[in-house]
Amino acid sequence: MTDEMPDASAPEKPIHRKTPPATPMVQAWLDGEETRDHLATDDEQETAELWTRINSEAAQLRRRNTPIHVQSRILNSLTDLTALPDEPVAAGFKLSTPMMVAGGVVILAIGALLGFMLVR
Amino acid sequence: MTTSAPSVELVDQADADQEIITRVLAGSKDAFGLLIQRYSDPLYRHALGMTGSPDVAEDILQASFIKAYQHLGEVRGRFDAWVFRIVANSCKDWLKNIRRTHVSYEEDDQPSSFSTPEEEMDRNELRTDLEYALARLPESLREAFVMKHVEGRSYEEMAVLLETTVGALKMRVHRARESLQALLEEKYA
Repeated sequence: MTDEMPDASAPEKPIHRKTPPATPMVQAWLDGEETRDHLATDDEQETAELWTRINSEAAQLRRRNTPIHVQSRILNSLTDLTALPDEPVAAGFKLSTPMMVAGGVVILAIGALLGFMLVR
Repeated sequence: MTTSAPSVELVDQADADQEIITRVLAGSKDAFGLLIQRYSDPLYRHALGMTGSPDVAEDILQASFIKAYQHLGEVRGRFDAWVFRIVANSCKDWLKNIRRTHVSYEEDDQPSSFSTPEEEMDRNELRTDLEYALARLPESLREAFVMKHVEGRSYEEMAVLLETTVGALKMRVHRARESLQALLEEKYA
């Protein structure tokens, strides 16, 4: 099925409303912070009715599970792959702090020796 | 950001995930199947809610788990939050690239809980309209709405997964509801 998909990245257009926007009390009810008994006005009850239908549809989607074949497809696709640790696998050794200090000392000594020879 | 101490369950689960990751990195490829089993359903629902297409959701799920597997050694903190971000980013990338074609939940072959043909027809119509309305929302609002209403997550959980504040997420969900209501009320209110 192909239809033109609306461009959600376009700026939002002004909304022409048939019913009043959801009040803070309706939002609180939808957030589970209030019970429906607290919706006092007819407008709020009308909005709540609409949201009950929308939530019912959302609940249907919430019960969707991954199709069984997908999990095995994913596992099969890993056959030729390797999980890599977060470090260079090819590196045969790691530089430890004492090694780095020793290296620094050697470089400094060579530098000092070269400097001494140049001065002479 | 509103923060609260992680529950014992979450800590246990994170520890269990870490154990599995250690086994996978040690060469046990099958152990990765446990992570797939544990997290594929919520991730699939997120991808389905964001894309509206079961086929695309399956592809995104597969590509995301492959990426997770190949970069498993880079996991810092909770695996579920890390892999969620891979899926969420893939969905956003797909939405950026695909806006031309509209694929619908009509491919749905899951059993229905509605009893009569009339109820089934109403349900299909509302589902299609809801999907179309969702597609008109900016990505950030759509993501927040799907996580709250379709996946049934708490704001606190969403804040951890999206690395933002509860207040910002409430704002997004509220704005998403406003927009959806405006789009749907003409027909259903």
